[in-house]
Amino acid sequence: MDPFESIKQTFFQECDELLTDAEQGLLAMEAGDADGETINAVFRAVHSVKGGAGAFGLEDLIRFAHVFETVMDDLRSGKMELTDEVAKTLLRAIDVLADHVAAARDGGAVDEGRSAPILSEMKALIGGEGLDDDDLGGDEDFGFVPMTVAIEGDDAPAFDPPALDESPAAFEPMADLAAEPASGARVWRIGFAPKSEMYAKANESGLVLRELARLGEMDVKLDADALPPLDQLSAETAYLHWTVLLTTEADEATIREVFEFVEDDCVLTIEPADGQASPPPPSSDLSDDALAAASADAPLDIAALLARVAGEAPTSEAAREPASAPEPPADLDVAALIAKAQAPIAPAAPKVEAAPVAKAAPPAGSSQAITPTATIRVDLDRVDRLINAVGELVIQQAMLSQQVMESGLARSSNVALGLEDLELLTREIQDSVMAIRAQPVKSVFQRMPRLAREVADMTGKRVKLVMEGEGTEVDKTVIERLTDPITHMLRNAIDHGLEDPEGRIAAGKPAEGVVRLRALHRGGRIVIELQDDGRGINRPRVRGIAVERGLISEDAVLSDEEIDNLIFQPGFSTAETISDISGRGVGMDVVRRSIQGLGGRITISSEPGKGSKFTMSLPLTLAVLDGMVVTAAEQTLVAPLSAIIESLTPRAEDVHFVGGKDAVIRIRETFVPLIDVGVALGFRETALPPGQGVAVLVESEGGGKAALLVEAIQGQRQVVIKSLEANYQQIDGIAAATILGDGRVALILDVDALVTTQHRRKPAPRAEKRMAG
Amino acid sequence: MPAAVTIKTLIVDDQQTMRSLIRTSLHALGITQTREAPDGEEALRNLLSAPVNLVITDFNMPKLDGLGLLRAIRAHGPTSKTAVIMLTGRADRELVQRAVQFGVNNYLVKPFTTQTLKEKIEAVFGPLT
Repeated sequence: MDPFESIKQTFFQECDELLTDAEQGLLAMEAGDADGETINAVFRAVHSVKGGAGAFGLEDLIRFAHVFETVMDDLRSGKMELTDEVAKTLLRAIDVLADHVAAARDGGAVDEGRSAPILSEMKALIGGEGLDDDDLGGDEDFGFVPMTVAIEGDDAPAFDPPALDESPAAFEPMADLAAEPASGARVWRIGFAPKSEMYAKANESGLVLRELARLGEMDVKLDADALPPLDQLSAETAYLHWTVLLTTEADEATIREVFEFVEDDCVLTIEPADGQASPPPPSSDLSDDALAAASADAPLDIAALLARVAGEAPTSEAAREPASAPEPPADLDVAALIAKAQAPIAPAAPKVEAAPVAKAAPPAGSSQAITPTATIRVDLDRVDRLINAVGELVIQQAMLSQQVMESGLARSSNVALGLEDLELLTREIQDSVMAIRAQPVKSVFQRMPRLAREVADMTGKRVKLVMEGEGTEVDKTVIERLTDPITHMLRNAIDHGLEDPEGRIAAGKPAEGVVRLRALHRGGRIVIELQDDGRGINRPRVRGIAVERGLISEDAVLSDEEIDNLIFQPGFSTAETISDISGRGVGMDVVRRSIQGLGGRITISSEPGKGSKFTMSLPLTLAVLDGMVVTAAEQTLVAPLSAIIESLTPRAEDVHFVGGKDAVIRIRETFVPLIDVGVALGFRETALPPGQGVAVLVESEGGGKAALLVEAIQGQRQVVIKSLEANYQQIDGIAAATILGDGRVALILDVDALVTTQHRRKPAPRAEKRMAG
Repeated sequence: MPAAVTIKTLIVDDQQTMRSLIRTSLHALGITQTREAPDGEEALRNLLSAPVNLVITDFNMPKLDGLGLLRAIRAHGPTSKTAVIMLTGRADRELVQRAVQFGVNNYLVKPFTTQTLKEKIEAVFGPLT
């Protein structure tokens, strides 16, 4: 790839991070808990986006970012007050900025209907200042001359002792002084006497003079009178000064600008040539050099160095420019920076050095440094190989334990005890390895504030999204598949759950609705809750629709909870008008299916007038499965625990046959299909006689319930999932395989497929349909 | 007249994009001895372990910003004579003035072209060969 193109890709990746950072900063600002550094961080992020955009000539992006940046700059400098309105405008602006970035990346265009109003709003905030087009980008000449440096050979950083500087040879004396000055030109006498500090900052008088020569014709006189005999010469001292007669049309200010970089470190006089002033003697002030020399022997302790800069800065600054030097604003205070930087730099710094730094630091709390976590990037394949190997280890360990047990060794024997330790260790390794794949749900959560704002805008509702537990970790694959369900649920919560502001006020609630998105670990699973304080589920309506759609019979008796859960039925929608936002009523059905696809469950609880709460519970990883080990037709099988609702022993009188063939079982007034697993998988021809075996009531991803008939339940176990497709071939009704402790392969049931197959073969009766009686 | 190839350069910017761009430009100018740091602190650590001739640094960075880095460079004997070019945004005139007080050698306004970068470097070191 073209290196430029590849940098551009890097830029867009970086933009994503910058936008996320900026959004988080803005959210903190909106919540009112943003300090100066937060505002500066947002500024920096927007500034960086603009900077990169400038490098790639992304004009639209630059223009938008520029205005945004100006607002942030005004906020940062205190010129503008951070009000709630400003924060809200900026939050919308960051969304549009993201759109601009996306458009620049994908070559599309930004919706001007969205972008233009926000741009005007921001321009209004800053009073249209500094927004001329030519204000963007480009090199502005502040009109001063750079300080110059000499390089010697390969040794960095080399420096020419000023007194021995040869560079004045670079400009020959302009001999034509006698020539008529050009019209409007004047002759200036310039006295230039560098101090040693000027050289200490890597400047070179020769190059300054060369810059001066560009202004016109000049005659240079070197005064080397101060130069001592060679044996007394100090390389650090400035001995030379120059008198320049410059013929130029430039005014004094322009001439002075040439010295802008060095003015503080030299004695400079500029006057019309008829003036009498002569250059002052060179300074022999060595204070900075003495300091530098002293520090040369100091150990390379950055904390100490930083501390010293902090301590030294005020005095040296005062000495350098007593009156005019503006005190750097608080956010640039080096002492504060050092306090922040201290922890990461030198955690083991001697107390003697740490103490003065601590003193220089601003009140504690704001300066709490967070040590950055060191990270490495590893190819996902490698992690998966490791996880696989650990899976094998777990199986091997279980097999070994079982063989030792069977061999009749006493539990107290050294071998058995050693095995126990091994088991603990193995589990620990397994957990650690799983943790490698784990990522905080933040990557999903962080997209939600924007979504909430957009949906609120489109529906005219007011919403505040509160997120908790973004740091909760879960397997990468789970995270990747969480975005869609959460997105859908959030849309639903705002679109259907929340009332409009008027409705809320009428109901005695604040106009702004609150939606809480929360993640937490519970019982080895991750639980994600989405709670709104809206109107709650309208049960009579839900029930009415369910009857209308034939989901339930008119006289069915349902608990509140059961009615609430009807919204997960395929094709169910409560929106009076189908909106663009929440789709066409497939939403919650799809949500449930994707959650179940991850081995999870979703439930809803709702209180009319107070709001609803959706709770999703998901496994932390997809590599390990919590399973129920069962026996069917002498085969050992595993049913995913997440699908199992309950298990029961069927009584013969509860089993009925529809059409004399397909069995159904009555479970508390509901009839569900009874599937003999042994038959369904082709292990045997005839089903177990009624009244024998154990029925496991399962709920498929599609929402259909069924009872799986097996001979016995062995117990609950965590199993490592092995792909059957990769090792053998796909089999209907089987999701995967695992290896049990005794070394046998056990197949993991694909509950969804088993139930659907059954449904296809036998359309009636509907699993959810209650039968009278 | 220094040979470009002899100028050891440290690029300091918290944005990878910017660092890559500067590096690419420098390489195009024949300045191939480049190193990079994402913030002032890291830059300082880098400088103390191996000095360079030129530091091209962004101003607004987390941890230690460009001015802080500049002051630290100037305050420490072994690094005090390192040339420093500061990267700025357009709105930063005040910053440039402050940087001048602290002894910056030149500045560079973002966005910039390789040619501008060359001019700025040459203004500090003299024409590159």
